[in-house]
Amino acid sequence: MAEGDPLIRFDWLLARLDMLAMRTLEHVWLTVLAVGIGFAISFALALVIRRQRRTFSPITAGAAVVYTIPSLALFAILVPITGRTLLSAVIALVGYTLFILVRNIVAALDGVPAEVRESATAMGYSSWARLWRIELPLALPVIVAGLRIATVTTIGLVTVAALIGIGGLGFLIENGLRQFFPTLYIAGAVLSVALAVLADALFVVLQRLATPWARARAAT
Amino acid sequence: MPTSVYGALVQTAATVEFRNVTKRYDGRSKVRAEGETPGAVNDLSLIVPAGKVCVLVGPSGCGKTTSLKMVNRLIEPTSGQILIDGQDVAAEDPVALRRRIGYVIQQVGLFPHQTIADNVATVPRLLGWPGQRIAARTDELLALVGLEPDAYRGRYPAQLSGGERQRVGVARALAADPPLLLMDEPFGAVDPIVRERLQDELLRLQEQLAKTILFVTHDVDEAIKMGDLMAVMAAGGALAQVGTPAEVLAQPASEFVTRFVGADRGLKRLSLRRVRDLELLPATAARPGDDAAEAGQRAASDEVGYLLLVDAQDRPIGWLRARDIPLDGPLSADAAVPMSPLLAEHATLKDALSMMLAADVMAGIVVDPAGRALGLLTVEQIARTLRDG
Repeated sequence: MAEGDPLIRFDWLLARLDMLAMRTLEHVWLTVLAVGIGFAISFALALVIRRQRRTFSPITAGAAVVYTIPSLALFAILVPITGRTLLSAVIALVGYTLFILVRNIVAALDGVPAEVRESATAMGYSSWARLWRIELPLALPVIVAGLRIATVTTIGLVTVAALIGIGGLGFLIENGLRQFFPTLYIAGAVLSVALAVLADALFVVLQRLATPWARARAAT
Repeated sequence: MPTSVYGALVQTAATVEFRNVTKRYDGRSKVRAEGETPGAVNDLSLIVPAGKVCVLVGPSGCGKTTSLKMVNRLIEPTSGQILIDGQDVAAEDPVALRRRIGYVIQQVGLFPHQTIADNVATVPRLLGWPGQRIAARTDELLALVGLEPDAYRGRYPAQLSGGERQRVGVARALAADPPLLLMDEPFGAVDPIVRERLQDELLRLQEQLAKTILFVTHDVDEAIKMGDLMAVMAAGGALAQVGTPAEVLAQPASEFVTRFVGADRGLKRLSLRRVRDLELLPATAARPGDDAAEAGQRAASDEVGYLLLVDAQDRPIGWLRARDIPLDGPLSADAAVPMSPLLAEHATLKDALSMMLAADVMAGIVVDPAGRALGLLTVEQIARTLRDG
């Protein structure tokens, strides 16, 4: 960094909007992939837990173990196995979402009032129809709240994946730090924070859209 | 076959038969003595004729709710059979079976994320009725349970009072016109005034619909009021007595039943008879402006010794004591003393007696729904019906 240079060189950034956009998209894509796969696995595990309650402790304990591994260490563990690949990044990121999402989905489904479940069964809903049309809609606010935490957490963790060469905006931060080039790492940091805030806001809107009936209650 | 007020042919009510039905919850509670597990049912045999209301009544844990839930297979019996119109429910697909049986519970269990219309339409939707038919049926049912369709259709359950929610629960259970309704303490969570109104409305509905209803309650008074039949269950899940409420009150089959129906079972029997069932005493009536001398003569020959002043429509105005009747000239309402209580002809004897005791009088004037005086009812007459059984 030369003397007299401004902290952030906007002209430099403006000349590289393509690269910034690509890194941002990569970041979003990694996040969506990780949260999407994590949600699918968590949902399946939650259904297993609801069918067999005694699987709750082993499953959540397993997810907790993964969660306690520091992110840097987890990426490091995976590199010898799956290399410095997208796969390594996704495996690690998915691993972190499980702890949040499994417990959250189980809690959300448990939160559906017993009398609502019983009357749905007694009206003649099959157990799958009951899950899709009664339990899931009612569990949705809590599930969305869990997805919100998982997504914001993942957006943060994706930056760490830059250390194995995959990392969206983390790539900018890592490179900027290594080259003592503040423009680059500040841009990376600001964009990833903005992304997290945006995702958070998106989920708040989603949550409101998913529960028109909850607002009707507030209106009375 | 009865037809509904809407002219549609109503599906015949179903006969329900319990044949030696037993439900044990072993394993989970080995600590307890055999047959004392809460919710267990012990060799229940019971026939509920089509179109009747059978109330399963008993202390908590006596297995009445378990018995109810075995009918729509929310609970499977350990042994024995339950037959609906001769068909063993165990042989049917539980999902299809449940769509033919209405179900109402104390907590109602409406779906909070669906509008009232969607809640009511639950079973027709599951049965795949066309949209137009569902919409028409929903409105018809809301009106039937006394909820203005235009005002309630689009609301959510959270926007309704407890009583309104319970009505929606009843409408939902009736949606596909099931021949059998299961009701588990349906009015247990609402306040006494609303409860009484909901009970009256259900009885009124039942007069039109003539469904078979299995009704669970722990409240003896509710059982007496709602039931054509009363099945008293004892702790341990054994049937202690089955009979009409009158039979159970008049001749309790055991020490347990006697204690359960209460020491005031004599009084409770009064709630089974209505004022119109008794032969009323004629009242000596006159209108203001009638000839006083003639009216006085009639009053004097009457054992009551009072003249009942009525208006042009025969509605009571007040009493005139014999000695207050002028010797001649027209009668005037000025000297009339305040009236004894007015008893509706469809009131129960229990309510009539209670009104007379509250007013501290020995007789009440019985009126028809238009308010016209029909005759007199005395405390002594009520006492006589108690003696005669």
